[in-house]
Amino acid sequence: MAGPSVFTAQSLPDGDNVNPYVYSIGLAGEWFISKGAMLAYYGNIRFEAVSRYASVRDFVAAQFASPVYVQDWVVAEGQGKLVIGDRGFDLNAYDLDDGNLTIKASNLLAFDTRLALKQSIVPGFVVLIGTGRFIASSNGPVIFVEPPFRADPEALLGWADCPSPAVHHDAAWMAASFAGALQGALGRTSGEEKQYDFTGTGTVLMQSSEIARADPAVLRLIEDQTRLLTDAQAGSLGQQLMARVQQR
Amino acid sequence: MLFEQVNNKVVRAHVTAQSPVLARRGAMLGYSGAVAFRPVRGQGGGVGGFVGAAMSGESNPMMASEGDGAVLYGYKGLYVTVIDLDGSYPLTCEADRLLAHDANLQTSVQFVGSGGVRAAVRGAMTGQGLFTTLVHGRGPVALLSHGGAFPLQVTGQWPVGVDPQAYVGHTGNLSLDLKAKVGFRDLTGRGSGEAFTLQVTGQGTVYVQASEQKF
Repeated sequence: MAGPSVFTAQSLPDGDNVNPYVYSIGLAGEWFISKGAMLAYYGNIRFEAVSRYASVRDFVAAQFASPVYVQDWVVAEGQGKLVIGDRGFDLNAYDLDDGNLTIKASNLLAFDTRLALKQSIVPGFVVLIGTGRFIASSNGPVIFVEPPFRADPEALLGWADCPSPAVHHDAAWMAASFAGALQGALGRTSGEEKQYDFTGTGTVLMQSSEIARADPAVLRLIEDQTRLLTDAQAGSLGQQLMARVQQR
Repeated sequence: MLFEQVNNKVVRAHVTAQSPVLARRGAMLGYSGAVAFRPVRGQGGGVGGFVGAAMSGESNPMMASEGDGAVLYGYKGLYVTVIDLDGSYPLTCEADRLLAHDANLQTSVQFVGSGGVRAAVRGAMTGQGLFTTLVHGRGPVALLSHGGAFPLQVTGQWPVGVDPQAYVGHTGNLSLDLKAKVGFRDLTGRGSGEAFTLQVTGQGTVYVQASEQKF
């Protein structure tokens, strides 16, 4: 019969890409999987909420040390083949060897339980530490660059082995924008003047800029930070947010 | 080589003092080296050019990248096609498909409605409206498309019919004409969905994208 070759439980790759957009994990034990990343599976696999599973196997809570992200992840447990994907984006598997890598939380799809997940200091990013494999998505193939490099926050996928970035504001750009504002030109806030500045040695991972997927953890992160505000400041922020919603 | 295709969605521009780059604002992904960015207005020279561009809607917020270094450009995960213009014919496309180009190239706005109702209808079908953008000179241009864009050669012997929504741009000595074939089936909603085709005749190259979606 003509047509695409049909996969079976045996012919699916064991820990490799099926095609650039689909990855097959050979499961024997436990993996952490982002909610919604699972496309299909063969075998005897159970999916459990991370918080619930942690009460059965206490090492899970220690490895998944990011309360903000607990609700967005599940533990896949059992024997079989687990096929994952993300909006048709390119998928890549990375092997960490006693290393650390920071990645955009919404692009991380799965990682094995030998790796520890921690929240990055940069909002919206998480850090993987240890030895093990993880699978991440990117819009187009990943581009690896070396510092010194300045990255647009929306196009930044992650970084490995280099210090956390600093925020760089392009002074010339802002001066030009201000002059432009005086001339009556509107709509000059592109965010182009804000970049993440990487220095030192390491690797920066880039992708083509995308329309960011809503990351539910960002809301929780910001809610957590509003505790730093005084009551007056909180009220002022509330009014700004109301105005923004009403303008839509 | 000024523009280097990194993958199908990202292009790396090598910026030097002699060849600055103009790019769509918001399309810079990252850079290394001593590069400065400056917001500029889209098209045209002088007051007339600016007013013309603003009136026609063929004006996009652009930025100039100047200095010495390498800049990565990409936009919303759209596909990028690099076209090297040899200076013989301008490239015709919509302004919002221009991701980046050598700043030594000139852009101008062309009124396509002067061809009467037919041309106006053609503009509406290709999503170009009554105006389109011409890129003149020698140098590389990076164009955005939804799904990859591929070139089709047009000769006197072999004209090409293109789905108006899949049309990206063209170079060469070409004339575009919208052909309508609306029959009874189309009116009753049982048509092929291809009632309109863009007939491209002459000598040149037309760029077509693998999608009917704009962005």
